[in-house]
Amino acid sequence: MKAWRWILAFGLLAGLVLAQGQQPIKIGALFILSGNFAGYGKSGSQGAQLAVEEINARGGVLGRPLQLLVVDDQGNPEVGVREARRLVLQEKVDFLFGIDSSSVALAVAPLTDEYKIPLVVTHAATPTLTEQCRPYVFRTSNNARMDAWAAAALAATLPVKRWANIGPDYEFGRVSWQDFIARLRQLRPDVEVVSEQWPRFGSTDYASFITALMRARPEGVFSTLWAGDMVIFARQAKAFGFFNQVRYFVNPVGAALEVLAPLGKETPEGLLVSARYWFLYPNAERNRAFVEAYRKRFGEYPSYNAQEAYAGMQMLALAIQKARSTQAEAIRKAFEADGGLVYEAPEGRKRMRPEDHQVFESLVWGYTKHSPEYPFAILERMRIVPASDTVYPTQCKR
Amino acid sequence: MDLSFLLLQLLTGLAYASTLFLLSVGLSLIFGAMGIVNFAHGSFYMLGAYLLFAFTRGQAEGFWAGLFLVLAAGLVVGALVERLLIRPIYPRPEEYQILLTYALLLILEDLVRLAFGAGYRSFPLPPLFSSPLFLLGAPFPSYYLFLLALAGLSALGLWAFLYRTRLGTWVRAATQDREMLEALGVNVPLLYTAIFALGIALAALGGAALVPLQAATPGMAVDAVINAFIVVVIGGLGSVWGALLGAVLIGLLQAFGILLLPEMAMVFPFALMALVLLLRPWGLLGRPPAVRT
Repeated sequence: MKAWRWILAFGLLAGLVLAQGQQPIKIGALFILSGNFAGYGKSGSQGAQLAVEEINARGGVLGRPLQLLVVDDQGNPEVGVREARRLVLQEKVDFLFGIDSSSVALAVAPLTDEYKIPLVVTHAATPTLTEQCRPYVFRTSNNARMDAWAAAALAATLPVKRWANIGPDYEFGRVSWQDFIARLRQLRPDVEVVSEQWPRFGSTDYASFITALMRARPEGVFSTLWAGDMVIFARQAKAFGFFNQVRYFVNPVGAALEVLAPLGKETPEGLLVSARYWFLYPNAERNRAFVEAYRKRFGEYPSYNAQEAYAGMQMLALAIQKARSTQAEAIRKAFEADGGLVYEAPEGRKRMRPEDHQVFESLVWGYTKHSPEYPFAILERMRIVPASDTVYPTQCKR
Repeated sequence: MDLSFLLLQLLTGLAYASTLFLLSVGLSLIFGAMGIVNFAHGSFYMLGAYLLFAFTRGQAEGFWAGLFLVLAAGLVVGALVERLLIRPIYPRPEEYQILLTYALLLILEDLVRLAFGAGYRSFPLPPLFSSPLFLLGAPFPSYYLFLLALAGLSALGLWAFLYRTRLGTWVRAATQDREMLEALGVNVPLLYTAIFALGIALAALGGAALVPLQAATPGMAVDAVINAFIVVVIGGLGSVWGALLGAVLIGLLQAFGILLLPEMAMVFPFALMALVLLLRPWGLLGRPPAVRT
């Protein structure tokens, strides 16, 4: 009798463990899937999807498949928080993932403490997010400050003294310009600022801003216009002959494929741009294989947002593997251990700083140039800014 | 400041005003004559932009024919929307109009995304206007002259229509007393369909005319409808001339304001709107609401 009971109990337990083994690890991803920025959310969710499919094809993590649930946060903090709560409470996800907008990321971040759910951010770039030192928030892409510092490092090498700015009038635009010009003044004390223009984010008419900029006769213009703003600005500025007058136009997100593809052959040549990842760099087996797989799966080239989401998902899988658990504290330790988790992404090595959970990586810049092989402008005369040039101190302690 | 720069800034301000006028005049006309607050107005502007693509397959050579096709399509779509969706709710409270037109905004955005994708669509400048002009030595996009002319002709045409034709007299009469107009034997339902179609066609034309300078995206409808409401609130909801005045004021305020206070560019239109609402809540050229007895 007793033995029978033991066998039953053991069988039940084994069944439970086996069932547990089959149960998917659920990852709730938030991206912008509607409105003007839906193109970014689409590439982000595609990148994450490709990573999940590759991971599951080799047997998942800890013997469990990954399951991706993508929701639309509309770039709206309230919607983002509501959807994140729903993912945690109703869908019982183990992780939160993605997020395009900085304001959504900042709004969702407190939920990670509330529910002990790790959040892996792959796009939102405000430095504030990782400066908050939250234990369960991890950013697997570089942030806007690193972009601005890399831009300053390159700008310091240009024969330019008269600088001007045009950027969208919200945190990202303002903070990037402050970081850029402060860093540039350290490297080149002789630079002067001749004009600052702040159009509304999502403006459709830049004419007055363009003429005001041109009147100030800057030699170099730093711009953080992105998405549709950059598309519209570039077209209107070209009509004014802006790019003939301004010798150096420096834009840290100007090489997003979400911008270059719709501009097509209309992209002016010779803009100094970056985009956190460029699909033709590095020309190495790892990157070529990724681009090939992405094209095969979705019929387009991977944008930076696609690659960052792909790499973020792979880093998360690595952390789960290392933690041998999906529990938040174990994941935190796995990301922080041994001087920070390292991942060889298609774009190169990503290393997470254990203190503030910010990834550092080298950044790729280049000048726009048309080529017969692609329907959009590509980068030539590449400039690689090493990760070490963008490391800023952190207040976080671990 | 030198003269050429001031002239350049004046023209860019007026060119921006032209785009705002084409966008908002239909909204004002429809409200003035029919009392409909059309939240979907920006969606028809977006539709015009996308239809230009569909009709020309993105080729600059087809631009002029494309503009006419968009205008025609705008008339047809406007007439259908009025006849099938708006007409049944005239007797209902105004909340129904707001809900219905808002639903239309959401549906049209999704339809456009299904048909054209979520990204941006850009369209080259038509060959006639592809190179800049030089005004006293400063380059200036020649396409802006076309926008100025288009807005000017539209305003003139509307004026001639409203004040020089029988139909226009009826439209103005409809704003005053619908019952009397019907008693005089005018087919008011048909007149309403025509007004709505005209307002929608103007918005679609505006959207199509702007694409060569901007880009079409599914989200442009919401931005457009906000701009349109700012313009007509400043000018006076229901007044065609108010739409023109509101557009010109915002255009010039933008162009010259950023020279003095570049830090504040985003605030100008809203500040002007707030000021007008404080001093003349019915808008600069609007009519104060009649006192009901």
